[in-house]
Amino acid sequence: MAVKRMIKYEVERDPQFAGWVAGVIGGERVRNCIQCGLCSASCPLSPYMDYTPRRLIHMAREGFKRDVLGSFTIWLCTSCYSCTVECPRRIRVTDVMYALKRRAIEDGVYPKRFPIPVLASEFGAMIRRKGRVTESWLILRVFLKTAIIRLLGMSKLGSKLFFSGRMGLVPESIRDRKQLQTLLDAVETHKEVAA
Amino acid sequence: MDARNGDLRIGVYVCHCGTNIAATVDVKAVAEYAAALPGVVVSREYKYMCSDPGQELIRQDIVELKLNRIVVASCSPLLHEETFRGAVAKGGLNPFCFQMVNIREHDSWVHQDRQRATEKAIALVRAAIRRVALHKPLEKKRVPIHPDVLIVGGGIAGIHAALTLANAGKHVYLVEREPTIGGNMAKFDKTFPTLDCAACILTPKMTAVKKHPNITLWTLSEVTEVQGYVGNFEIAVTRKPRYINEDLCVGCLECIEACVYKQAKVPDEFNLGLGKRRPIYISFPQAVPQIPVIDPETCIDFKTGRCKKTCIEACGDRHAVDLKQQPKQETIKVGAIILATGYQTFDARKVPDYGYGVYPNVYTAPEVERLINASGPTGGEVILRDGRKPQSIGIIHCVGSRDENTNKWCSRVCCMYSLKLAHLLKERTGAEVYNFYIDMRAAGKAYEEFYHKLLEEGVHMIRGRVAEVTDWAVTPEEEGKLVMRAEDTLISFVRRVPVDMVVLSVGLVPHEDAKDVRRLFNISCSSEGWFLERHPKLAPVNTFTDGIFIAGACQAPKDIPDAVGQAGSAAAEAMVLIDTGYVEMEPNTAYILEEECSGCKTCIPLCPYSAITFLADKKIAHINEVLCKGCGTCVAACPSGSIKQNLFEDEEIFEEIRGVLANA
Repeated sequence: MAVKRMIKYEVERDPQFAGWVAGVIGGERVRNCIQCGLCSASCPLSPYMDYTPRRLIHMAREGFKRDVLGSFTIWLCTSCYSCTVECPRRIRVTDVMYALKRRAIEDGVYPKRFPIPVLASEFGAMIRRKGRVTESWLILRVFLKTAIIRLLGMSKLGSKLFFSGRMGLVPESIRDRKQLQTLLDAVETHKEVAA
Repeated sequence: MDARNGDLRIGVYVCHCGTNIAATVDVKAVAEYAAALPGVVVSREYKYMCSDPGQELIRQDIVELKLNRIVVASCSPLLHEETFRGAVAKGGLNPFCFQMVNIREHDSWVHQDRQRATEKAIALVRAAIRRVALHKPLEKKRVPIHPDVLIVGGGIAGIHAALTLANAGKHVYLVEREPTIGGNMAKFDKTFPTLDCAACILTPKMTAVKKHPNITLWTLSEVTEVQGYVGNFEIAVTRKPRYINEDLCVGCLECIEACVYKQAKVPDEFNLGLGKRRPIYISFPQAVPQIPVIDPETCIDFKTGRCKKTCIEACGDRHAVDLKQQPKQETIKVGAIILATGYQTFDARKVPDYGYGVYPNVYTAPEVERLINASGPTGGEVILRDGRKPQSIGIIHCVGSRDENTNKWCSRVCCMYSLKLAHLLKERTGAEVYNFYIDMRAAGKAYEEFYHKLLEEGVHMIRGRVAEVTDWAVTPEEEGKLVMRAEDTLISFVRRVPVDMVVLSVGLVPHEDAKDVRRLFNISCSSEGWFLERHPKLAPVNTFTDGIFIAGACQAPKDIPDAVGQAGSAAAEAMVLIDTGYVEMEPNTAYILEEECSGCKTCIPLCPYSAITFLADKKIAHINEVLCKGCGTCVAACPSGSIKQNLFEDEEIFEEIRGVLANA
């Protein structure tokens, strides 16, 4: 354990980020949050989170960008939507989590050796390239980027899956990859326009 | 038993009060015991004696069994003595041939041992039966009520009460100590949550007061003496000189312009010292009455006697300026009094951590109200004391509220007025606004919605009490700013927020002289100094003094709608008194046995109600039944035992004591 200095200066606040959060799809109502904590209480993963969803929402709308995007919270969200369903102020908390995840990947500020964001970005990259996901290669890439040693521990399970035909090594792909890429490009452009 | 009363026929009624009494007291055993006592003709127990069938039981028994004394053992006389007296009267018996025993508050509610609680109930009932035998038929006295009403305080509560009564045809004296009516509300810019302009909704009511034929308005006046009792108060009012004759002045205000002071140099009270005025001035453009006032403290003529008196010159033939005016005493008679003396705000200097009075850019909320008001010292522009316009503003809630070091209570209005100021300041300046709050209390119609509106406007809500406001910078961004340090408890981080302007949302406190007013009118105050209502829920505008009512924030912190609501309620209560036309006085008054009084005058100075006079011709004391409140002081003090008190005669009390102790 170490003694840490914990204080927030106003310069750490990024008002633009706060504005961005309130502008993303699903984030329109973050300012309406009354900090009741129902999201945190209903969240099955909140016991593991560094900032509970309630705290994260308040930090996001205040503009503490570094803490928000660097937090484990957004990656632990399993999108069960119980917070969104129960929120008394109708804030789409799960959608905000997604927006924050995307932003963290875009800005490259997610926790680097934490498997969930790596999995998410590798998954996206593989879809963009091939149109399909080959699980063996995806898992391999994720473990290479996070914890190679743990890969050895998984070898028994891996070979079992391989020999029972549950997991192949041949990279899968769709026929017309160009079409998919055009599609994805269109979505990206639209997103930028919307932003 | 007592021979005076001839053949005694007593009826005893023991109430279950549902299970309130019956669960702890064996009511059947009590009734059976009472039945065997001498003089008791009938003894019953019943589920709810106060119900219609319960009362009917008493009435029927009186008629059929020819009862002449009634005892009811139930709850507190405060609740149902009048009910049962009524039932007794319906049976054709004098209502004072009745005694009530409290076996609920005095017994079942405070004991757990059933057997011993029953024994206590039996002892109390036995005492009442022995006492009631000595009761004499008595009559209530009726005293007529003076139809006029005095209202003290010309804020929104006093104004509303005055207009309500005046519209109902009652004559009202409205006494205000400031030069204008309007009170605190007249100083506000806008009102939450609707953002109505305060002056726009208040000034028509102020003008209506001035114009109303049924309202006598006395500004610059204070009540100095209160005599009398409900229905018949005698009030002395001191009217301080305005130095302008109100009957002659037409409100042209030319005298102000003519003052030898070409520049306004005196700190303006109405603008809380943020602006300046001349020695002859009018509080604000819509002041009522629309008549200037001269401040003798600063007027050159009062100070040196050598002024050119240009004001008098300007007034010309009207001769309204009268520098020789003297204080005037008025004596009025009224039947009811409404106190609507309001509040003052907490002195922010008592919390030195926030730097009020040290840092010029720390303001109190009332000051900000004037600062953003179009008729305020800056014409509504938010210009700081150092001439800058703020780009960031911090508002600290609960200053002088919810704090054991200052005041324990929540001032109820600060959350909402802080939000209102946050909205107005953001609107006027475009500044970043930070609200530091402990809890957000927005309980009122459309209040929560107003809070949400503010959240949507992007006002920063930081949940945490500010520890200090300082100009000590630790980062370059904090240089030249006021830094507010607080824990943002919502994210569990201590934050330092540099701002240009700090607003202290000061709480509401009783007037410094509320204690003097309380003594003057003989009413009670809570320990905090707010006027005490007779019952916090069921008699919120009544006081413990009959005929005196309270309205508005003198009772407790409250917002405009609540103050107006209470003012209407107080007006209605006063009207009930007046329209009834008379008050019935309890016959528990003292009387003098004339043949025994030695005329020693011991009792006369002791009477707190000045009800005893000395009859010089007979050389004996005389008690005015109307003034006597039945306190019993004279009875106890009389050296010859020649003063007695109805319902509390020595024999009655001794018999009651004997009854309680009979089986002990």
